[in-house]
Amino acid sequence: MSALVLHVRPRDGEPFRHALSGEAVVLGRSSKADVVLADRYLSRQHARLFLREGSWFLEDLGSRNTTFLNDRPVAQPTPLRIGDVIRLAESRIILEGPGGGSASPPVGDGLTGRADEGLPDGTLFRSATLLFTAPAVPGEDPGGLAGRLRFLNDVHRALAAPMTLESLLELILERAFGQLKPEEGAVFLRDSSGTLARVAMRRAPGVTGEPLYSRALAREVTEKGVAALVTDASEDPRFAKAESIVSSGVRSLVAAPLLDSDGCLGMIVLSAKGRVHIFGESDMELLAAIASAAAMRIRSLRFADEAAERRLLDRELDLAHDIQMAMLPRSFPELPGLDVSAVLRPARSVGGDLYDVVAADGRVWLLVGDVSGKGVGAALFMAVTKTLFRAIAPGAASVAEAVGRMNQELARDNERAMFVTAFAARLDLATGELEYVNAGHSPTYRVAARGGFSTLPGLVDPALGAVEGHEYRAHRLRLEPRDALLLYTDGVVEARSGADEEFHALRLEGYLASCRDVPAERIVQGLLDRVEEFAGDAPQYDDITILGLRWLGAGIREEP
Amino acid sequence: MEIGDEQVGETRVIAPRGRIDSVSSSELERHLVARLDGGARRVVIDLAGVEYVSSAGLRVLLLAAKRLKPPQGALVLCGLGPGVRTVLELAGFTSLFTVEPGREQALARASGAKAP
Repeated sequence: MSALVLHVRPRDGEPFRHALSGEAVVLGRSSKADVVLADRYLSRQHARLFLREGSWFLEDLGSRNTTFLNDRPVAQPTPLRIGDVIRLAESRIILEGPGGGSASPPVGDGLTGRADEGLPDGTLFRSATLLFTAPAVPGEDPGGLAGRLRFLNDVHRALAAPMTLESLLELILERAFGQLKPEEGAVFLRDSSGTLARVAMRRAPGVTGEPLYSRALAREVTEKGVAALVTDASEDPRFAKAESIVSSGVRSLVAAPLLDSDGCLGMIVLSAKGRVHIFGESDMELLAAIASAAAMRIRSLRFADEAAERRLLDRELDLAHDIQMAMLPRSFPELPGLDVSAVLRPARSVGGDLYDVVAADGRVWLLVGDVSGKGVGAALFMAVTKTLFRAIAPGAASVAEAVGRMNQELARDNERAMFVTAFAARLDLATGELEYVNAGHSPTYRVAARGGFSTLPGLVDPALGAVEGHEYRAHRLRLEPRDALLLYTDGVVEARSGADEEFHALRLEGYLASCRDVPAERIVQGLLDRVEEFAGDAPQYDDITILGLRWLGAGIREEP
Repeated sequence: MEIGDEQVGETRVIAPRGRIDSVSSSELERHLVARLDGGARRVVIDLAGVEYVSSAGLRVLLLAAKRLKPPQGALVLCGLGPGVRTVLELAGFTSLFTVEPGREQALARASGAKAP
């Protein structure tokens, strides 16, 4: 089964098809990939398909966002089948057979057979849109016609009521059953990837088994937008291939596309096995009319659902962003000897970075932290952390005591085991004495006025909130006048370039070599510029926080 | 993410595979919480198949450690690759977990622990 076609639906581009050939195919954002997908969350070389012993396999190329096959991450090369769905970041690829469509039915989609097999000559297809404008069939019983119009009017009115998609599908099948008296019926809808699947079914009382309908028929109806009628399949010699049209002994069938002005959403099918009821052309017309009314309603429901979902997600991200930003100081204390600056660049999905600078009694307290996880939960935990810092730090006798008390509050009743890595410090502006605690955080750098830089020594204690009652260990050192400190979060060193490289501590250190006796604002802005230049258009996955501080010496004002 | 899961004597062995990042960690969390709610008290988490753990993933491991704190239970980690070990060290979490090199040692450690 080496003949496979990729039905590619990129996040930021038009869908297209790509027939697999050769031995291997690389998927990615880079123009060097064999199949290029417009999706800014993709890695440049994201995943690879390769041929092994006649079968195609999928493997992830160490991508940032991993590769999913049928919603499971791909950890090792995995064989592919027609009907599989590959997800790369926010793009989808559906595997099709050479004829288009899926040849072997994914379990439970309610369809059977191949999409490209021939349909029997006796199948009657009518354009669903023409059905409404065609004159009434001659000899149609006028009473029956009036009855049908009343029925349709009634369906339209019922559809106007507010309802969920499930209740709408139920209502449509229920009304169709009431009027057309089939034994079985089903509604099929395309999902967001375009794959058709059964979403509702109904059986007349006493009917058992599961109706399976031909994939070829479904394709004809949904792709061409035609209604179909099959009459007494079992007795007509032309229907020798009836098994492909309808399995499980169906004798008669009527199907109509769910068609609205924007295209086809799916189809509705009714079928009968017995001799009691055989469908006619007027049944096909009526079903087409019901389907058209249903299609408009389904479309409007889907719009409403998608919009509501997007709004909710956007609101959650906006809320998290607002919480985080509202908590950050807009200005810093202006004290003799102190030169401080900070920046926080939030990621799209909102992490939980924070920083703070608080002055008390001739000393300045610093905090930079990074909460585990993302979203509103992380933003709230960040807000609590910062509130605790403001409340506890200025009155605490030592940094170890302040951090210990913050940890105690954060760890209490912390059932979700959230934590925040933090670097907390206190600088005495009169003496340059620095006391600090590292709670599971990236090391802080000191840029010496006499040249050179180094990370602050000392052991790492657990992140805040992780261990109730932990006794934090503080470390001390004395800064020389015009020494600078650089505090930051992982977002800096883990920033990714377009080539999926890490910024890394090495680049950070390369930059620090040029920061000797440089004002804090320039240290911070310069580093941010370098990280942003390095990342280019690559997506930012984590918040970036940088805090720089320079101690000018006792009582010295910032230089002009 | 694939999550291997088997019962060995009195110990539940859970073996996630792949990356434990902010997306897959919620899957691992649901799995672990379901086992803990189901009464598992001796648990080995075998990380041999895990190449990367984010801070969100670390939170899930921490959650398990908290709920299985002696004498309420026993949690032993094993199969830590250098990447995973570094992440634990950087967060200051090495002292919070009982760690054994391989699954056999981890099972012995878990079954020897006092747990209800």
